[in-house]
This record gives sequence, structure tokens and C-alpha cells, in this order.
Amino acid sequence: MPSYKLTYFNGRGTAEIVRLVFAAAGTEYEDVRLEHDQWPELKPSTPMGQLPILEMDGTMLCQSNSIARYVAKMAGLAGKTPLDQARVDMVMDGMVDMGNKFAYEIYYEKDEDKKAEKKKDYVEKYVPQFFSSLNKLASDGGYFAGDELTLADIAFYNMVTMVNPYLEQPLSLDGFPNLEKVVDNVTSNPGIAKWLKERPETPY
Amino acid sequence: MAPKYKLTYFNLRARAETARLLFAAAGVEYEDFRVEFGGGPPSEQWKELKPKTPMGQLPLLEVDGVTLCQSMSIARFVARETGLDGKTSLEKAQADMIVDAVEETLNKIYATMFGTDESKAQAKKVLETAVPEFLKNMEKLAGPDGHFVGDSLTWADVRFFDLASEMMAKHADLLENFPNLTKVVDTVKANSGVAKWIAKRPETPF
Repeated sequence: MPSYKLTYFNGRGTAEIVRLVFAAAGTEYEDVRLEHDQWPELKPSTPMGQLPILEMDGTMLCQSNSIARYVAKMAGLAGKTPLDQARVDMVMDGMVDMGNKFAYEIYYEKDEDKKAEKKKDYVEKYVPQFFSSLNKLASDGGYFAGDELTLADIAFYNMVTMVNPYLEQPLSLDGFPNLEKVVDNVTSNPGIAKWLKERPETPY
Repeated sequence: MAPKYKLTYFNLRARAETARLLFAAAGVEYEDFRVEFGGGPPSEQWKELKPKTPMGQLPLLEVDGVTLCQSMSIARFVARETGLDGKTSLEKAQADMIVDAVEETLNKIYATMFGTDESKAQAKKVLETAVPEFLKNMEKLAGPDGHFVGDSLTWADVRFFDLASEMMAKHADLLENFPNLTKVVDTVKANSGVAKWIAKRPETPF
């Protein structure tokens, strides 16, 4: 079996989706967390000057979602058929859109009044509409693809918990029973439950 | 017999063109359905279709009774169906990461086009360093033989070509100092299916 080494900063950030997949898969890996002053030395040897990176068998992969998809595929968590895998991908992409929208329109907004207004729009209009679409895509058993946990379910949980700390209140799943089940399925997965209890507490 | 695949998008290149280029490169038939693009307010056609889509967006790919959305998920699926997604699991992951990098840069470009005057100005500043950095990284990852992954055409090459050719329409010398990337672009352009498609595709504003 290859040895996996995941390198990121000491935080959840964009690496956490990979850590969650490793946890669900029960795959061992080295969870390297760099201090910020260690980064400049490593940076030039990375494919795109960014973290996270995954090293295995002498190769370096970057881009968090590509890494997550690769690890999920190796563990059978990426969808069982080509169409299921495409469904997993599209949900993951949708979650990236949701995160990017938050980052570009809210997180980076410097004007406090505009920021508050955009946050309100995000929470009251954008998210409920998007969750309504996602609720239709999830089965009533709480899975986005097939009838087992996949990377799509993990991606949903991960992005929602990534955005929540920046909002006045956590995003509500009221009226989205399938999505509530998705979160249940993710958090009750034995590997993930264990990780959620044991992972380092970090500010981000 | 109707083609197995139906691609639905506005009458634009934008977020559907990578999928169209892949179908073309592989010589695979598909229905290239184009929804009227309002240009400003949404067209009646789009207003009617939007609530029926998985995430209220285009493009869509319909195949075997399933409707897929998200342009890069569609493109990855088409690449897989046409054998252009990489030969091994590792190659597929490497192709994915190239495509992710293109998407990141494209989002930074869009940030200069949409938003408030301040956010657009800020985004323009970001782009000044982001694009050279992106090209520098891509140059290292592209082999000298005109491919990002393995030794044959993959959707990583096509995706990069898609972005680069749009940018080169405004900045012809974009890849002047990037011989590997120039080779990638030339290799994709020389693919007979791609060349035929580019010659006959509808002219659209973007």
C-alpha cells in the first residue's frame, strides 16, 4: 500500500475535506501541519506554490478537490458508476461555488455595511435556494449518489461547517430533511466521528 | 437515432466550450442545444428552463435519463466517455489538478468583470501577479512534447487551450515566453476534430 503524506498549515482550511475522506476510508496517512515560517522553503518544490499537497510514491498532487477525489476513488468513496461519479463531482463543484461566493462577495468585502448586506442576502436568499436544489439531489436516505456515503456528502458537510463560523448563526437545514440526513450520515460515519473527536482544535 | 448526449448551454462558448471541444476532439456526436442568451435580462426560454435544472444553472449534460450540471464535472465525464481523461488513476488526478488551476485563474479573471468598482479594481491588481504565476507553474507542469499529462491528449490540454485561446484573442503574445504551453496550444489546435469545430462553430460574443 502506498504511503500518503498530506501537507498543509495547522488548520482545517482547504485540507479538511481530504482529512475527512481519509477518516471515512480508514486510510492511514501522515498529517503534516506546517508552521507559516516553514512554508517559504517548501513552496518552490510544490506544483503550484500552494497547499495542500499530497505526496505518494514519489509524486506530488495539489488542488484540494483533485486530491480528495483521488483519495476517495482509491477508497471506493467517489461513486460506483461513471454517472454516479459525475453526480458526486457536480455536488462537490456546487459546494465550491457556495464557498467561492462567500469568499469573493463577503469575506473579501472591506465595507462593513456592504458586507452585512451581502451576508443577509447570502443567508436569506442564496443559501435557501441552493439548499432547495441540493435537497432534491439528495436521496431521502441522505446520499447524493447511490445509497452509500460518498465524497459528495462529505463535501456538503465540510463546506457548510467551513462557512458557519463566519455567520451570526449556523446555516439552517430546516425544511431540507434530505440534507439533514446527509449531515447525519457524515457525522455518524465511524471513521469521521472518531476524527471529529480527535482532530486538533484550530482557529480555522 | 438521437445522439446519446445532449449538451444544453446558452449560445456562447464560455462554460460549455471545453465539453464541445472534447466531443470534437474525440469525434463523438452530441446534440449542441443552445438557449437564447438575453445578454442582459434572462430570455423567456431560460426563465422557463431554469427551475427544471439541478442547480438553476447551465451548462447541462443529459445522458441515460440523468441530468448533470457544473461545467467541469460535465467536461470530466465527457473526457472519461471519450477516453481523454488520463490513462491511470494518477494521470486522472494530475489532469484534474491542471483543470482546477485553470478554473482558479478563470475565477480571478471573472472577478475583474463582475462586482463593484472597488472589487473589480482589487481583482485587477490580483490578476497582475496571478496570471504570470499561473503561466509559470503551468509551463513547469507541461512537458516539452505538448501534453500536461502522460504522452497523449487529455482534457487538461483542451481545458488549458480553451482558456489560453480566449486570452490570446486579446493578448496575442500571452505565451511568448512559454514554449511548453505554446506546444500544448498548438497540439490541441492541430487536432483535426478541434480544427474542424473551431472553423464551423457559431460566432458568439464570448
